[in-house]
Amino acid sequence: MDIKTPFTASSSGRSSPVSAAPVGAILIDIDHVDFYYGASQALHDINLKIEEKKVTAFIGPSGCGKSTLLRCLNRMNDLIDGTRVAKGQIKIRGIDIYDPSVDVIELRKRVGMVFQKSNPFPKSIYENITYGLRLQGRSNKSDLDAVVEKSLRGAALWDEVKDRLHTSGLGLSGGQQQRLCIARAIAVEPEVILMDEPCSALDPIATVKVEELIQELRTKFTIVIVTHNMQQAARCSDKTAFFYMGKLIEFADTRAIFMNPANAQTEAYVSGRFG
Amino acid sequence: MDSPRPAPASDFLVNKKRVRVLGLSFDDAVKIFFGGNAFVSVLVLALITYFLFQEGFGFFGQNHRNLLTYRQAGLEYVDYIRTQESAHTALTRYLSDLRLRQFSHATLEKKLTPAAANESLVAFDNFAALYGDSVEPLRGLVSELTEQATAIKTKFLVAEDKAVERQQLTAEGKIAEAAAVQIETVDFAVEVKALTGTLPAYKELAAEFIKKLDAALLTAPAMPTAELTTRLERFRQLSSDFTATFPATTRSLETWDYTRAVPWYQAFSAFLFGREWLTASFWQDWYGIVPLFMGSLMVSLVALLLAVPMGVGAAIYVNQIASAAEQRFIKPCIEFISAIPSVVLGFFGIAVLGQLLRWLSQQDALAWVPGFPFSERLNILTAGCLLALIAVPTIFTLAEDALQNVPKAFKEASFALGATRLQTIIKIVVPASLSGIISAVLLGLGRVIGETMVVLLCAGNRIAIPDFTAGLAVVTQPVHTMTGIIAQEMGEVVRGSIHYRALFVVGLGLFFLSLAINFLAQKIVNKYRISIG
Ligand SMILES: Nc1ncnc2c1ncn2[C@@H]1O[C@H](COP(=O)(O)OP(=O)(O)OP(=O)(O)O)[C@@H](O)[C@H]1O
Ligand SMILES: [Mg+2]
Repeated sequence: MDIKTPFTASSSGRSSPVSAAPVGAILIDIDHVDFYYGASQALHDINLKIEEKKVTAFIGPSGCGKSTLLRCLNRMNDLIDGTRVAKGQIKIRGIDIYDPSVDVIELRKRVGMVFQKSNPFPKSIYENITYGLRLQGRSNKSDLDAVVEKSLRGAALWDEVKDRLHTSGLGLSGGQQQRLCIARAIAVEPEVILMDEPCSALDPIATVKVEELIQELRTKFTIVIVTHNMQQAARCSDKTAFFYMGKLIEFADTRAIFMNPANAQTEAYVSGRFG
Repeated sequence: MDSPRPAPASDFLVNKKRVRVLGLSFDDAVKIFFGGNAFVSVLVLALITYFLFQEGFGFFGQNHRNLLTYRQAGLEYVDYIRTQESAHTALTRYLSDLRLRQFSHATLEKKLTPAAANESLVAFDNFAALYGDSVEPLRGLVSELTEQATAIKTKFLVAEDKAVERQQLTAEGKIAEAAAVQIETVDFAVEVKALTGTLPAYKELAAEFIKKLDAALLTAPAMPTAELTTRLERFRQLSSDFTATFPATTRSLETWDYTRAVPWYQAFSAFLFGREWLTASFWQDWYGIVPLFMGSLMVSLVALLLAVPMGVGAAIYVNQIASAAEQRFIKPCIEFISAIPSVVLGFFGIAVLGQLLRWLSQQDALAWVPGFPFSERLNILTAGCLLALIAVPTIFTLAEDALQNVPKAFKEASFALGATRLQTIIKIVVPASLSGIISAVLLGLGRVIGETMVVLLCAGNRIAIPDFTAGLAVVTQPVHTMTGIIAQEMGEVVRGSIHYRALFVVGLGLFFLSLAINFLAQKIVNKYRISIG
């Protein structure tokens, strides 16, 4: 079995993620990508390399294409009719994820996602977390129990919900729901977690909790986070990409983007003068 | 407002002159219009309910009198004996069936010609004739008693009519005419003696009857196969079960008392649990709703069995899988079905579907299907198929709504976790909309139960409880329904008669059934709204 092709349909079972790669290695290579919604072009020639086990932040004014790019990474845009990557490639571990041989289902297991608005299923907390595992045919009770505890601990939620695992996930507070969604995403042990404005619907205290969580998760996962909150990007991320009107304007270490931006537009945006 | 205001800026505070008609502003008129509409609907509903109750409730009093007459005039007494006669008739039918089986065994297995086969069955025929004829004396007694009881009943009813006539005349002040009305008083104590007096004769006759049956059984020839032998054994068993009921019947006859009161609840229970709906009969009318209810239920069940997978399946396909172009095509098509007048559907059922189903059932290749072949063109299945067509648009539209209401975020979350489209539908979308789907099904059921034209035309209109011992083949039997009976008989009944009132009570039952179904559906939908949050 070719370990280098983890998403192709031919690779049955879970080939272990390559952990030998040094931190800082390129995990996702976005190579000159143009993306269209029907006739309108949303992304122009995006060229970006996302490093493994780092937090990469996407910032930029509303409508600049952050979510679009993020959703390209696990092919969620496939669900929208008429979308296409017209040019360029997105490679994860060197594999073009838009190649016809790629198994989208396998890809999405490896690239998890947390949405802007928390969206737990109308099921119990326990079932929310085991959903992804059951899809993979895992049904051993003690196995599932272990994963539930591990994921909830990983999402810093275990102590708050351990006594009510079998109550509805919709009964949690907004911040708890979002952490439940994070726990649900990490339960299937993805390599990458995409987060689209995960804190925008949360109050400051819940936001702090999620940010702390991101700091913990970065040791195990590669995280890409879209945010409108400059401080959040500055606090949480290692690298920051600034987009404007569907173009990548600047991509550098977070510190550099905020302290010493190379581009005048970037400078204007991070200093709050437009956007 | 009365002091002149210099500042034009605060003009908007001044109450502008509005057009008023009869002292009402436009807003008031709108309010009254909508309020009036709402009020009229409530009023109409109240009137309908009142009317149904008013017309319907008289039924139970009349039914009580009906049952009382049944007892007093001795019809009940006669029916004890008649039951024996019909039980015997059922046994002779069993014998005919046995003969048919022997005949086909002889012609098919032994390759005899029909004539030769009949020849070989002479011994059996003699036995069957002996067994069948033994009932004759009993039958004679029954018909004699029937005549007498009918005479008593008629006499009583005539006397009652006369009494009513006299009452009316008196009320109109025509005292002389009222006095002229001859009322023949019926003394049941005397009249009934003519019936009960036959008891010793009956006892003798019954003893003779049992002897004859047992004697006939001894002449039964041996059966050609093991299977048929067990059938004959079964027949012997049935026959001895039959004769074992005789002492009980005799006891009923001995203890029968025309003065025993008919308890009030029987007016209700005879309706609710009565297994016979028999009207305009020379003997005794029965108003039991069970056969009609079972008919409605069976037809509706068959309809739902077909319509639920179709309607829900189509809704899932259109909402979750189909392309936009397919949606644009399928949706109006299904919704158009509900525009077909039900009488047209019924006509189609008679002319095409019933014919087609019967033809299909008679194909040899389909003989394995339970109930096939069948000979009744109009039956539960035919009506159920057409009713399904009526329920599908309701179920489809409401189920599609329910699916549409599932937040997109659930689906996205599911896909993002690596679920296929099918897994997402089965594990997320359908469970999240389940209560909506269930209430769609319930409302479809309500639609089906209330449907009249199709069942009237296609259900076969035989008033009988379906024979469930036939297993699945029960759906090939004709039935009559609650809606159908009202539509069919309402035109012919005398206003105010017990039959007329009985039909109203059936209508009342339908009304409450629909009410209950709608209520349940509403309840479920409300619960569903809360759970989605
Ligand atoms: N489903 C869609 N169909 C057509 N156009 C879309 C669709 N989704 C987004 N767009 C367009 O693509 C462009 C980029 O949108 P996107 O949602 O990626 O922006 P964003 O950077 O995430 O903005 P925000 O910060 O407001 O979330 C916008 O012009 C938007 O109108
Ligand atoms: Mg966005």
